[in-house]
Amino acid sequence: MAGTEGMAQREQVRIGISLPLTGPASASGKAAEAGYRLALDEINKAGGVLGRRLQIFIEDDGNLPAKAVPIFTKFVTVDRVHAITGIFGSAVGVSIVGPAKLHEPLIAMLGAASPLVERGFEGYKYLFHYHPWAYHNMEAVFSFMEFVRTGTGASTIAMLYEDGPFGSAGIGDTRAELIKRGFDVPFMESFKSGSGDFTALLSRAKRHPVDVLFWIGFDADALPIAVQSREVGFKPRLIFGTPASWPVGYEGNPVARDVAGMAGWTSASPLPASKEFVKKYQAKYGGLTEEYMAPMGFVTLTTLAAAMNKAGTTDRDRVAAELARTDADTPLGKLRFKPSRLSPSVYQGFDSDLWMVFQFREGRRVPVWPKSMAAGPLAWRWR
Amino acid sequence: MRWVGPTVVVAALLVPLIPAGGYQQYVVQVATFVLINAAAALAWDIQARTGQLSLAPAAFFGLGAYAYTMAALRGVPLPVAFLLGPLVAGAVSLGLGVVTLRLHGLYFAIATLAFAEVVKVIFKELPLDLTGGAVGLTAPPLLGGHQTGLYYLGLCVLLLVVAASLAIRHSRLHYAFTAIRQGELTARVLGVPVVRTKLLAFALSAALTGMVGAYATSRLFFVIPEDTFGIGLSVTALATAIFGGVYTTAGPVLGAIILRSLEEGLRLVLREGYLAVYGVILMLVILYLPGGLVSLWNRRSRDAAGGD
Repeated sequence: MAGTEGMAQREQVRIGISLPLTGPASASGKAAEAGYRLALDEINKAGGVLGRRLQIFIEDDGNLPAKAVPIFTKFVTVDRVHAITGIFGSAVGVSIVGPAKLHEPLIAMLGAASPLVERGFEGYKYLFHYHPWAYHNMEAVFSFMEFVRTGTGASTIAMLYEDGPFGSAGIGDTRAELIKRGFDVPFMESFKSGSGDFTALLSRAKRHPVDVLFWIGFDADALPIAVQSREVGFKPRLIFGTPASWPVGYEGNPVARDVAGMAGWTSASPLPASKEFVKKYQAKYGGLTEEYMAPMGFVTLTTLAAAMNKAGTTDRDRVAAELARTDADTPLGKLRFKPSRLSPSVYQGFDSDLWMVFQFREGRRVPVWPKSMAAGPLAWRWR
Repeated sequence: MRWVGPTVVVAALLVPLIPAGGYQQYVVQVATFVLINAAAALAWDIQARTGQLSLAPAAFFGLGAYAYTMAALRGVPLPVAFLLGPLVAGAVSLGLGVVTLRLHGLYFAIATLAFAEVVKVIFKELPLDLTGGAVGLTAPPLLGGHQTGLYYLGLCVLLLVVAASLAIRHSRLHYAFTAIRQGELTARVLGVPVVRTKLLAFALSAALTGMVGAYATSRLFFVIPEDTFGIGLSVTALATAIFGGVYTTAGPVLGAIILRSLEEGLRLVLREGYLAVYGVILMLVILYLPGGLVSLWNRRSRDAAGGD
C-alpha cells in the first residue's frame, strides 16, 4: 500500500509554496495563496504539467525565519518537491539562503525587496526572483515624482518613513536622489508604524509648506496620516504613500479621496492579461481583489509550470534554462528574466516598470501613472 | 526521578540519528529551533528567579547576534566571534542593571522594554558599513553550516545554560534569589546583598541570552534590527518559561519542547486555524496550571510519596 502511494506521489509534479498566512504579512500571503490556487486550477484543467497532475504543498511560515527554515527543509527532504515558490519578506528570504545552498532546489521567489537577500544568493544558479528589488521600487518613485513635477510644477516634498527595514532601507539615498533631481526636501522624519498618532509629526511638517507628502509605511498608517493631516491643517497638494497593501475599505472612506498610492497592479489595469485574470478570479472567488500579490502568485506558478512543460522534464537545470527564457504577457505586464544587478547569477523578473500609481477616487483605484496604464489624469487638488 | 534529565540528554543526542526516513533533516531543523527557544527561555528564567520581570531578552539576544556577526565579518576567527556574543551582552547588561535594578515590578519591566527598543534604534542608525543599518548584515555560518554539527553545537549551548541553572539551584545563590523574590526587605535582613545578587542574575542571564543570539545567528545567517531585536523573542522566552514552569530548570526546557512540537504538529495536521488551537492550549495551561507543566510532575511526585 505504502509502495502504491509512493508511486502515485512520484507520478505527480510537486511544488512547495511557503507563505505568511498568519502574522502581520498575512494579507499579502493570503492574496498570493488565492493566486496560486487559481493558477493550480487552470494548470490542471489544461492537462497539468508534463501530462501529470500538478500538486502543491502550501505551508504557513508566519513570516518567521524559525518556521520558514524547517518548512523549506521539509519541502526538499519530505515532500521531495520539484521546485519551491512563495517566500515573501526579507527576513524569510535571507534565512533560507543556507538551506538553499545546501540542497540547491529551483526557487521561484515571490518577493523580498531587501538587497540582503539579493547578496545572500550571490552565486546561486537556481533563484528566479519575481518581485522588484528595493532599488527598483525607488526608481519608480523617482520617475513618478518627475512626472508630478513636469505636470504640476511641484518641487517640495516632505518625507515620512517607518523605522523598520521596509521604510528605512536606503532612505538617506532616496532623499539625496530627490535633491539631486532638483526637489527640495525640507522635512524628513521616521515614525513607528501602527502607532496611530501622527499629529505631532504632521504639526511639525506643517511648518514647511510642501507640495507633496511622501510616506513609506504600512496599511495601518494610511488612514491616520490622511485624517490627521486634515486635523492639524497640513495641506500638501498631494499625499503619496507606498504601503505594500492598503486597509480594507479605504477606497470608500471620504478622506482617501485623491490620496495616491503605488501598486504592482490594480484590478482596473487595462492590460488584456489582467482583464482575463480578473474574470477568472471573479469566477472562482466571486469578488475582486486589489492585492497585487494575487496576480503575482498566479504568474509565478503559471510561468513555472510553463517552463516545466517546455523543458519536457522536471530536471532542475533544464527547467531553469526554460524559465530564464520566459517571455510572457502577464496580468502584471511583460515578464522577462535578466541577471540581477547586485548578484548576476540570480534571475530577476519584474523591475521598476511593474509599478503604477493610482489615486483613490469615487470608491475605487484609478491608475494615473504611467501614461500607458493611466485611466485618468493626476488629480492635483488634495486639500 | 533522577533518570529524567540524563534520559532527555541521551534522547537529544540521538535526534539526528533517529531513523525518521525522509523526515530526518526536517526533525533536526525543528529540534534546532527547540534548542534555541529552550536556551533563551531558561536564560530568562534565571533572572526571573530574583522576582524581576525583564523584557530585555531581545536586546541581549540581538547584542550577541550582532557582536558575532560584526566581529566575524571583520576577520575575527569564528569561535572567538562566537564568544564575543555572551561577553558583549553580559557587559552591556551590567551597565543597564546598575541603573535599573533598583526599580521594581512594572517599572523595571518598562525600563527593560524601553532599553530593547533603544538598542534596536541605535543599531539601525549606526553607520551602514558598521551594522548594515535597517537592512542588516549576512552572518557567516559556524561549522561551515553543517546541519548536524550545528544541532550538536545548539545542544551544547542549551546544556551550558542548564548547567548554569543547576549550579545556581545547588548553591547558596538559590536561596538568595528566592529570598529576594519573596521580599527584598526580608532578604536584606537575612544578609543578602540584594542589588549585587540581582545584578549577578541579570548579567548571567544576559550573557547566556547573548550566547543564544550568537548561536541562532550562526544558524540563520543574518541579522536585521527589526527581527533580531524583535519583541517577539522576549515574549516567546517569557511565555515558554511560564508554560513549562518558572523558577525551575526543567520547566522552560519542557515548555520549549512541547510548545514548538505542538505548534509544528498542529500546523501539519490542521493547516487552517492551528494558531487558535495553540493559543487555547497555552491559555488553558496558564489558567489551570499556574505552576506550569512541571507542577503536574511535582504533584504526582508528592502523591507518590504520600505527602501533602
